[in-house]
Amino acid sequence: MPPYTSYHAQRTYPMPDEPFCTELNAEQRALKEKEKGSWTQLSHAEKVALYRLQFHETFAEMNRRSNEWKTVMGCVFFFFGLTALLIWWQRVYVFPEKPITLTDEWKAQQLQRVLDMKGNPVQGLASRWDYEKKEWKK
Amino acid sequence: MFPLTRNALNRFKIRSIQQIRSRQSHENHSQDFHNKYGNTVLASGTAFCVVAWVFIATEIGVKWNLSPVGRVTPKEWNDE
Repeated sequence: MPPYTSYHAQRTYPMPDEPFCTELNAEQRALKEKEKGSWTQLSHAEKVALYRLQFHETFAEMNRRSNEWKTVMGCVFFFFGLTALLIWWQRVYVFPEKPITLTDEWKAQQLQRVLDMKGNPVQGLASRWDYEKKEWKK
Repeated sequence: MFPLTRNALNRFKIRSIQQIRSRQSHENHSQDFHNKYGNTVLASGTAFCVVAWVFIATEIGVKWNLSPVGRVTPKEWNDE
């Protein structure tokens, strides 16, 4: 693996001045010398080697998809679940006593009182109650 | 003239997609964290989240005060 220099190329800045590899061994230096001549005498493998000296990754490699989103979303959901545990702790240690008006018995009596007063008889609560059969309308 | 160039361009695009596919399968030989554990992290995170919130919503005694329609049977209130 060639040493990593101050090479910073990205999709928006694809061709920086600095090549990827600046410390070349003898073989690579010979290749750079050959590059100064006519490019038609370079073999395909040599051209690829020159590319790899100049650039860290090809565009296809640079732009490849990854599965990072799975880790990210998994962690997001995990912390959202941790929030649920926080709320559980709050319910046990912080929430005050439930007011009497929220007990089931009180709510049932409150409902009967609203139905007696015929609250919202046109489209609301009392309109959903069947007064003859004394049950909710289907 | 135009259909000829369009067909030529289409062939180029198809070939490069095949090249990308083969290169991706080559890349994944050196697996990173997301390839190895991404599915596990996602599945377990989602499961934990769903279980925790369903528990919160149903078991710990939170009064949601949902609509009484179809749910609550009214009870006599003026006994005296």
